[in-house]
Amino acid sequence: MRSAATLLVAYLLLILQSTVLELAPVHMAVPSFGLLVVLHVGLSPKWTLSSSAVIAFATGYLFDLVSGAPQGVHAFVFTLMALFARALTRRVAVNGIVLGAATSFVASLLASFLIVVVRAQVAPEGGYGGLRQAPLEAVLTGIFGPLVLSLFRRLDGRVDTARSRVGLTRGPRGGGGTSLSMSMTDRR
Amino acid sequence: MIAVGKRAREIAVVVATLILALYVLRVSAKNPGELSVLDRGILRLVSPAQKAMSYVARGITGVAGRYVELTGVRNENEALHRENRQLRAELMEMRRLAEESGRYQRLLGLRDATPAETIAARVIAVDASPYFRVARVEIDRGEGTVRRGMPVLTPEGVVGRINRPAGKTSDVLLLVDPRSALDIIVPRTGGRGILKGKAGENGYRCSIEYLARGEPVKEGDAVVTSGVGGAFPRNLAVGHVTRIIPGAVGLYQDVEVTPDVDFARLTDVLVVVAPPPAPDPDPGSHHTPGRGLAVIK
Repeated sequence: MRSAATLLVAYLLLILQSTVLELAPVHMAVPSFGLLVVLHVGLSPKWTLSSSAVIAFATGYLFDLVSGAPQGVHAFVFTLMALFARALTRRVAVNGIVLGAATSFVASLLASFLIVVVRAQVAPEGGYGGLRQAPLEAVLTGIFGPLVLSLFRRLDGRVDTARSRVGLTRGPRGGGGTSLSMSMTDRR
Repeated sequence: MIAVGKRAREIAVVVATLILALYVLRVSAKNPGELSVLDRGILRLVSPAQKAMSYVARGITGVAGRYVELTGVRNENEALHRENRQLRAELMEMRRLAEESGRYQRLLGLRDATPAETIAARVIAVDASPYFRVARVEIDRGEGTVRRGMPVLTPEGVVGRINRPAGKTSDVLLLVDPRSALDIIVPRTGGRGILKGKAGENGYRCSIEYLARGEPVKEGDAVVTSGVGGAFPRNLAVGHVTRIIPGAVGLYQDVEVTPDVDFARLTDVLVVVAPPPAPDPDPGSHHTPGRGLAVIK
């Protein structure tokens, strides 16, 4: 249920991203909503490592189709970014607007770099150019980051089961068995 | 023990996902223009939503544009303001209709003048990623007639070529995409080269490769299609030389070109679905271009 809801919102955000240029005064860069979906599933304690990787792959695959990019470029990069986000949660608790924006900004820069590198492997004629766009895209992603991450947190809360609402659920990162679900701060 | 098994399963799924992504990449690199049945199905679901969202976005832009126009006259007195607003709204509507009519007329002119069979298409999405300059178009009619590599034009000039056709919609690889390559001529000098897109520039730019140093170009020189390869008709406007990068060494010039087409404002395009006819054996009776065709003579 959570995965389906997340993918549906991801789909709507990707459609928005592919048409948002009609509204934007600057026609060169748009925030990477797809990446924000991936960041959410990577950062949220409610997602297991495997399910966040699968959702990241599906979001990337959809984005490849929507954006006209060679199939697999964003699927691969987004899967790596989900792993990056998961690794990040072991060191930093990404809470609040400032940290959310900063994480989105840094993740966008990293994703841009990876996309250019992977693109150069798949379509060598494109070369390694294009990173000039990265800072502007990262700024826009950083601005929209806290908003979208908060939207997904609310969505996650709404699709929680009754058991998890009262605190009794199988912890996605736990070692199995029924346990109290923990917030990120608790785990730290 | 259970925890270790669960952990191993988690890692196995992640590794499998990464391998799947790499496999998709490999298949895509081998056959860049082909879409699987699943991809086509997904695109069939995505395209109507993109079309609807694009329609809404254009509507909002229109309303916002009108609001901005009207805020400038707020300081005038109320009577004049009301009258002015009404007249401006009417004028804007007329201008919009005239612009739309002109656009369609130019498109029709281009269709009449292009020595090849064309079909019209409407742009429903552009540039979802700055690293891949791609537009998605929906064709008017003739589903299945569009193939990979077919040229896409507007009255202003060449837009690009079809990259991934999928039913009624197709991806168009824009001239400014780094994967794009087009054989061109600079008519003033007769120099030939390959026009390539420049990735991720803060603007839509191209560069010419393999343009011999012996035929020096100047800023402002027009760039047109050479017709080599047979897909693109000859002498279609492509762009203008905007910068000659000094200091380049070797046999070739380093030249930057700004396309004549404004890719940020693409709305309607023509897809050339059949190549132009063979050259006329009688060179005295050339095909006369019609109104709106961006042909450089």
